Amino acid sequence: MSEFAIGVIVTVGLLVMVFMGVRVYAAAAMAGLVGMVWLIGWDAGAGIVGTIPHSKSVNYVLSVLPMFILIGFIAYHAGLTHALFDAAKAWFGWVPGGLAVASVFATAGFAAVSGASTATAAVFSRVAIPHMLDHGYSPKLAAGVVAAGGTLASLIPPSAILVIYAIIVEESVGTLILAGFVPGVISAVIYAMLIIGQCAIKPELGRAIPFPPLGEALRTLPGTTPIFAVVAIIFSAMYAGWATPTEAGALGAFVVLVIALWRGMRWNALQNALMETAKLSVMIFALIWGVLIFVRFLGFAGLPEAFAEWIVNLPLEPVLIMVGILLGYAVLGMFMDAIGMLLLTLPVVYPAVIALGYDPIWFGIIVVKMCEVCLITPPVGLNCYVVSAVRPDIPLGDVFRGIFPFFLMDAVTVGLFLAYPEIVLWLPNLVNS
Amino acid sequence: MLRSVDGLFFKLEKFLNLIAALVILGVMLVGVSQVVGRKLADFLGDVFDKNVPDALSWIGPVPGYVDIIEMVMTIFAFIAIAYCQRLGGHVRMEIILGRLKGRVLYGLEIFGTLVALAVVLILMYFAYQHFGRAWEIGDSTIDIELPIWPSKLLVPFAFLILAIRLSLNLAGFIRLFLNPDGDEIAVPHIESVDEQAQHEIDAGLAGEEEKIDLLNRDKGGNS
Repeated sequence: MSEFAIGVIVTVGLLVMVFMGVRVYAAAAMAGLVGMVWLIGWDAGAGIVGTIPHSKSVNYVLSVLPMFILIGFIAYHAGLTHALFDAAKAWFGWVPGGLAVASVFATAGFAAVSGASTATAAVFSRVAIPHMLDHGYSPKLAAGVVAAGGTLASLIPPSAILVIYAIIVEESVGTLILAGFVPGVISAVIYAMLIIGQCAIKPELGRAIPFPPLGEALRTLPGTTPIFAVVAIIFSAMYAGWATPTEAGALGAFVVLVIALWRGMRWNALQNALMETAKLSVMIFALIWGVLIFVRFLGFAGLPEAFAEWIVNLPLEPVLIMVGILLGYAVLGMFMDAIGMLLLTLPVVYPAVIALGYDPIWFGIIVVKMCEVCLITPPVGLNCYVVSAVRPDIPLGDVFRGIFPFFLMDAVTVGLFLAYPEIVLWLPNLVNS
Repeated sequence: MLRSVDGLFFKLEKFLNLIAALVILGVMLVGVSQVVGRKLADFLGDVFDKNVPDALSWIGPVPGYVDIIEMVMTIFAFIAIAYCQRLGGHVRMEIILGRLKGRVLYGLEIFGTLVALAVVLILMYFAYQHFGRAWEIGDSTIDIELPIWPSKLLVPFAFLILAIRLSLNLAGFIRLFLNPDGDEIAVPHIESVDEQAQHEIDAGLAGEEEKIDLLNRDKGGNS
């Protein structure tokens, strides 16, 4: 049997295992192991596979992951959510739909640091929605804003998922972290413009609140410094290269930890945050080595090259193929966790995308944006579900109706990046040149 | 019997996870001293025009920083793997499993656990061989020449713990397969959307005073 045929059979086997609910790390490792043994025999095949977990995990670059995750778990204890919302309210409240605009920026800012979209939506349902409802805002708008704002988590630095993308496709971690910044901010601004537009046309959705006295507005700023400090440390370290991602992540985590301890975080809470960090880290490491075992086999079987060649020779415009790939991710994302989905698909999809002439950095940003959009689409749309769970007075249907315009705006944003890749690539190119 | 073995073993898994957690905290502290030390050393070098007095000469980046991090990484990359399995933390697709009940569900769970157990046992054997080679050659890291074998030995050790955990899961699923109406013991539990939401809410509101309870956990509900 040809190597290619073995590649196809084993890949189908992997997909069957995944759909049957085998944990992805085990399914990928098993598929890779079986494939390698089939291709080059028991001793050589299994021998190579046996070295992969250690050799692929012990890589300094990967040590940034627990740092970014730790920042996220500690951030909830640093009293940042209320501080951020108060500051955003003071500075952005005066525009039409001002409280909703403030919520978008506060949620996006916190999500960036926490890295967790859904948990951020949960806490801002508590922090921001009551203020909006008190000021007579439409409950649908209020809920939609919070559920959508959380999805900006994985573009603005620090972002663990962009690091994982970089590792799987062997691109620079620093470049990807940097590249997420502008698209993340643009996504937030587009959300804000949507709200301003809606509320300018229909003021009853949400009215502006007056700008507070300048002194009062200025006093809201110090509480938000940890957020800006973390983003600035990581952003500037990647931009100017004064620290590695791990060092910058360590410094960011340290800053947040000091603030959290100063705000009264106890050992119990710290221990919980650390335990959760360790659990999430080991899950990601297991996925990485499991999938890399499979990737090693794919390389032997020549499958990615064959798939790339097939894609390139399709009688279709590359842009149509790209739209097809993105729609595929949108569908898959409804059923699967973003990290698992990326790791499982990228080894085959990525070489094809590159063969089509797309930029690796650009594709990373687009694909991560797609993963986030999946958090606000039915059937589950966990972000929407969580908002409705924290605010039982806003039914799930209303949250979905409230978020629909944001979903449309996300489609516009992805289209924008598709049409003008330079928006995504401008900043990383500036640094690399 | 299974319940108490499961509980006892979970204590060990928790302990290993705690070690991984503390190592992560350590990596953070070492990283901070690395950056601060390097920046301070640069600064002192400028101030004293390269003639830093002996009393301050110890200030600088951590010697062998990358070696140290790579050496301890195996700890948080592997030893909590069984803890994560116990809590059902490893990613999988539950689109089909989530709709099944009873024997069909437990049958598939047995299949999934067997796949994981088989691959982990094979990997354990070959990862141990990988350690054996490093032990014989006396392999060491590039910069400060730390021996590599301890970090390589941790991998088969973690796989051994995971294999024991998977065997416990297997026993639990077989028990349920035989008696689908029994209690769920020693098996990771498939979370409903409510339970997933509850997790996210717990995480999100970790710093808030007032909590939210979707599952009525205080009233002895599903936990």
